[in-house]
Amino acid sequence: MNIKAQLFCAWCGVAFLILFSIGWWFIAGYIPPMSPALSANEVAAFYQQNTGLIRLGMVITMFSAALSAPWVAVIAVQLKRIEGEFPALAYALLVAGAVGVVVLVVPPMVWTTAAFRPERDPELIMLLNDFAWLFFVMTFSPFFIQNLVIGLAVFGDKSETPVFPRWVAYFNIWVAILLIPGGLITFFKTGPFAWDGILAFWLPFAVFFGWFVVMFPLLLKAIKQQDLSSESQ
Amino acid sequence: MPGEVGIWVFILGDMVIFGLFFIVFVYYRGLDLELYLQSQATLNQNYGAINTLFLLASSWFVAMAVDDMRSKTTRLAPRFLVLAMLCGLGFTVVKIIEYREKFMAGITLTTNDFYMYYYIFTGLHFLHVLIGMGVLVFLWLKARAAVQRKGDLPIGDSEKGMMLIESGASYWHMVDLLWIVLFPLLYLMK
Repeated sequence: MNIKAQLFCAWCGVAFLILFSIGWWFIAGYIPPMSPALSANEVAAFYQQNTGLIRLGMVITMFSAALSAPWVAVIAVQLKRIEGEFPALAYALLVAGAVGVVVLVVPPMVWTTAAFRPERDPELIMLLNDFAWLFFVMTFSPFFIQNLVIGLAVFGDKSETPVFPRWVAYFNIWVAILLIPGGLITFFKTGPFAWDGILAFWLPFAVFFGWFVVMFPLLLKAIKQQDLSSESQ
Repeated sequence: MPGEVGIWVFILGDMVIFGLFFIVFVYYRGLDLELYLQSQATLNQNYGAINTLFLLASSWFVAMAVDDMRSKTTRLAPRFLVLAMLCGLGFTVVKIIEYREKFMAGITLTTNDFYMYYYIFTGLHFLHVLIGMGVLVFLWLKARAAVQRKGDLPIGDSEKGMMLIESGASYWHMVDLLWIVLFPLLYLMK
């Protein structure tokens, strides 16, 4: 039984959250998000004044992103326990999670490109900045599918001792729906649906964070339950 | 409490989010009241009112269906559910006509802030309605199977089956409730 490997993967999720927050939030200072309504010069000034911090922060952020891969993998393993021999939903979760890593890796690389030559034309810096923010906040689709398939798999758990409690299915589908408003940021420069807005950024961001916090103890419990049931056999 | 625990996690979660939407709307509305009132005046209140009736009737039919299925002599539940689905379909048709009219008049998501909220809130609610139609089809299949088995609910033991049916019905009532707040907020509030 590979309980230790599974626990390691689960803890990778926690490491992801912590390192991502340190790099992106506390070092590079992308929270609170800058307004999409800023002028090119204002955007360029952010990169000129924080060049070193952004570069350092993005190294950490980029590294942390891949830690979400083991996290998704161990959830997929637990879903496979539910699904048995033909785990379509677990595979869907794996593929979506792999794409999710790309979505988390690319924006830091683009942000750091903007900070690579901060003296360049402010218009170009703004272009990179726009690209990174849009890529980061708007790309909800892989995460939407992640949560949706977890929900569907948990619904399908007919066992006497289910891997996850049934409310987890509803919770994940709720989270999936809440990530959708991010898709609207392409239409707005200000207001609640802009990339710094309460409904398009803060709400999905808080929910995505909260999802880790809720799923982590449940995941540990599921792994331990698997351990116990394999011992008793 | 009817239904399973999980559906209430979902319903309360969803209502918290819509509650947040409404607070944001009322806040920004207060900052530019004139624009909001002007734009509101161009909405067709009749469509809103008809849709309110559709959803209220639909909720009532679903409640009747659940009641019928509880009685263990289920007979009419599938018919009530068909009526509920027809009401949902009516809502869908009116909504599409309404969106079309707005689009033809050149009003889109980015016309102004009021229409931004109008499209996004009613759009998300519409998404809930479409999901709900799927739920109603599911309930209808279960109800039909129950009638064929002379009242015995088809899923596992009947208590568990009833739980699922109540969960679906509770979701549909939430869709109704959200609209009942959305309608006055967007169409009527002065």
